[in-house]
Amino acid sequence: MKIAVCIKRVPVMEVKFAITADGSRVDEAGLKYDVNDFDLWAIEAALQLKEKNGNVGEVAVISLGPDAAQEQIRKALAMGADRGVLLKADSIPADGLAIARALAAEIKEGGYDLVLFGRIAIDSMNQMTGPMVAELLDLPCVTNVFKLDISGSTGRAERALEGATEVMEFPLPAVLTIDDGLNKERLPSLKGIMAAKKKPLDVKPAQLGDAKVTVHKMALPPERAAGRILGDSSAAVPELVRLLQTEAKVL
Amino acid sequence: MGVSNLVFAVILAVALGFFARSAKRLKRWLNIGHEEVRTDHPDQRTKNFLLIGLGQSKILRDPVGGMMHALVFWGFCVLGLGTLEIMIQGLYTPFTWDVILPRFLYLPYVVSQEIFAVFVLIPVVYLLYRRLVIKPKRFAEVSGADAVFILSMIATLMLTLLLLFVMELRTGASPDGRIISGLLLPLFSSVSAETAHLVARGSWWIHAVLILYFLNHLPGSKHLHVLTSLINVWFSNTSGPGRIGAMRPMDLEAENAEQFGASDVEHLSWKNLLDGYSCTECGRCTAVCPANTTGKLLSPRMIVVKTRARLTEKATTLDAIAASGGTASEAQTAVLAKNLLDDWITEEELWACTSCRACVTECPVSIDQLDIINELRRDLVLMESRFPDELAPALTSLERNGSPWAFSASDRAQWAEGMDIPTMAELVEKGEKADILFWVGCMGSFDDRAKKITVAFARILQAANVRFAILGQEETCHGDPARRMGNEYLYQMLAKGVIETLDGYNVKTIVTFCPHCFHQMGSEFPDIGGNYEVIHHTDYIERLLEAGRVPLDTEHGQRLKVAYHDSCYLGRYNEIYDAPRNTLKRALPIMELVEPPRTKSRGMCCGAGGGRMWMEENVGKRVNVERSEELLATGADQIAVACPFCMTMITDGVTGAGSSVPVLDISEVVASRLLPIVSV
Repeated sequence: MKIAVCIKRVPVMEVKFAITADGSRVDEAGLKYDVNDFDLWAIEAALQLKEKNGNVGEVAVISLGPDAAQEQIRKALAMGADRGVLLKADSIPADGLAIARALAAEIKEGGYDLVLFGRIAIDSMNQMTGPMVAELLDLPCVTNVFKLDISGSTGRAERALEGATEVMEFPLPAVLTIDDGLNKERLPSLKGIMAAKKKPLDVKPAQLGDAKVTVHKMALPPERAAGRILGDSSAAVPELVRLLQTEAKVL
Repeated sequence: MGVSNLVFAVILAVALGFFARSAKRLKRWLNIGHEEVRTDHPDQRTKNFLLIGLGQSKILRDPVGGMMHALVFWGFCVLGLGTLEIMIQGLYTPFTWDVILPRFLYLPYVVSQEIFAVFVLIPVVYLLYRRLVIKPKRFAEVSGADAVFILSMIATLMLTLLLLFVMELRTGASPDGRIISGLLLPLFSSVSAETAHLVARGSWWIHAVLILYFLNHLPGSKHLHVLTSLINVWFSNTSGPGRIGAMRPMDLEAENAEQFGASDVEHLSWKNLLDGYSCTECGRCTAVCPANTTGKLLSPRMIVVKTRARLTEKATTLDAIAASGGTASEAQTAVLAKNLLDDWITEEELWACTSCRACVTECPVSIDQLDIINELRRDLVLMESRFPDELAPALTSLERNGSPWAFSASDRAQWAEGMDIPTMAELVEKGEKADILFWVGCMGSFDDRAKKITVAFARILQAANVRFAILGQEETCHGDPARRMGNEYLYQMLAKGVIETLDGYNVKTIVTFCPHCFHQMGSEFPDIGGNYEVIHHTDYIERLLEAGRVPLDTEHGQRLKVAYHDSCYLGRYNEIYDAPRNTLKRALPIMELVEPPRTKSRGMCCGAGGGRMWMEENVGKRVNVERSEELLATGADQIAVACPFCMTMITDGVTGAGSSVPVLDISEVVASRLLPIVSV
């Protein structure tokens, strides 16, 4: 059995984002990058399947992105994946379908039995690439999987619904998107990092085609006005009541 | 040469032969460990040998037991001369030192033998009494049978020696100067000269043969320390040479390196294994271990004892296989397949360690328990990616955000808003320079309580007109938490980044209030190419106060009782005990400084070191609660700390105990005494 995991290079979120002057994209100065969290869980799911099922021959990691995304692929290799493919694109288009086409072409060629995605990319928040790839390849697709079993050529996945669990069965090959809760990703060991340097990583241009959706404008939400302290004794109450009536208009 | 001389010669030859064989084997086993140079700085090593070894300075930290041991040790040194005389007498009966020594040396020799026999006998009787009747808690963990056997043997040696002296006096075959025998002689007045001669010969034989037996008992016993501990003290680095407490450097780019850290004895150095030989299981380390004394599984003594046990197990198996022509039986293969990690020492023990160095500081023979723990942790993390779940967010955040907490670097200097504090980058832009860099640290940048310390220290610097700057957004963690957790890779990545930033600004002097930053940058950075003068703020403030540069209120203020809690990384790691206390005294001239029972080099850890800050503490009593109760029991009106980690832990403990005693950083105490800045 061959498993492909599609991962995305995303900015680390604990920063204050800025928008470029032309308002078209996030200013990349000072950003740090890592593998999208949900994709980490997808990698972990694939590695656990490999450890559990003797018949998993290979876990390949595919990423579409700039050259620098090799770093993220190496991390997946350090965690234990066997092989990496970078579909090189100088910038990642906003059109999910364009991305899905490029990925689908690569996946089709690889002949994978199972294709895993993270449920959502934490930067673009589209959660469409996985299902679109399934559609393009005419494969069954289960999204938001938090529990997974494969036996023979059949898979069984559990998805979380609001207040319930849905259990799905599907034949292989199939495309799944992985939710959190399936597992915590392993941190690569130094041994893994060393080994990853020697694992194969193919770089080829991404076959993106035309992007039909583009970003028109980006804007940060308006900053919240600072709170006001009127005083710390009962003397402040009349003023508070007045402001609640006249300014906040909630009384 | 009589028949008895011949018999003795045979016994001596057999005993020495056996001993040589054991000694050679023990030395060979050390080679199972990897190489490590321990012959640098012979002057410092010799000093340690004289002070800690011969001078017994560390064992004397326990005044009663320590003095008893020191007497036995020094007694043995003196009695060694007598032993040599007895051995020669065995081969040539008429021999005495009198033959060689001039009279003025021989007389003191004779006197010393008797006196020291008594000096040894008294403590040995006390130590036996302690083992059998008092039974201190620290002896409970390991079997004391060998100790009792050895003590009884020493007692027998001393009794036979004294008996020999008295009987020699009785028969008149005694040199001048047997004062104690003279006092004892009346007890034996009824003994005939013939009987006395027989008893003397009997005592001589028992004594001589017992010594040779003792020599051969040692190699397989915990009392091997008699032979190895002095050597161990010379080779040890725990009191220097080198920077005390600095973790072992690790070359991650070494060609063909396949093992990082240690999972078995061959991954430890020969010195770690010599530590095993030198441990006599006294348990002083475990008795001061904050993890052990609050009910955790970790016992530093057992770390060393288990290391020795695993070495013995593995080495004897390897020897047996070699002896049988190289083919291993199934049982032998099973023994070799075991590991020190997991099969002897568990993860739970290793993660309980707060890296406080209390065990290392206490060990009378300079064993480095912490080095073994650190090496095993490195294997867990670097080789197997095995660590408590709670550590994952901290490690991930260190990697992603350059801080163990997931805060944005852009918020690093939020505390400084409106304080007119320049960043290094701003100074460079203006073409100006700073005298010192104030390294704020992650706690000081992001933790709400610690940010108040940051502000207080910055106010002191401003009041003293110090030209300082911060790095602001450019500051990142130097990786010390990752290093202590065993993640050397992440540590080196972060540390090298920090060194690059510092060198980019040509930084020479760094001041910081976090003892972990202080230790890492001052004591461990040199190993990876970062050389700076790093000063802890307690030290720096004291210098400013001494130079009269800080305008303090001259009103005496209240008469307060203040207890100071020593930080491990300031105290035991860097031996800074006086600066914080002196600073307090200067800032609060009429305060009364009170000390908790465990203080200075004996200070008890707050529980946050060694990555414990990021782990849950579910077993036993919480370390910080134990420590806070001890601090509160001093009756102090205020508790002073000098570390943001201690601040968190002790504040939690004090609050948890329902107390409202304030916990303040040294800089906050000083800042509260600053004269208001008069604007002209």
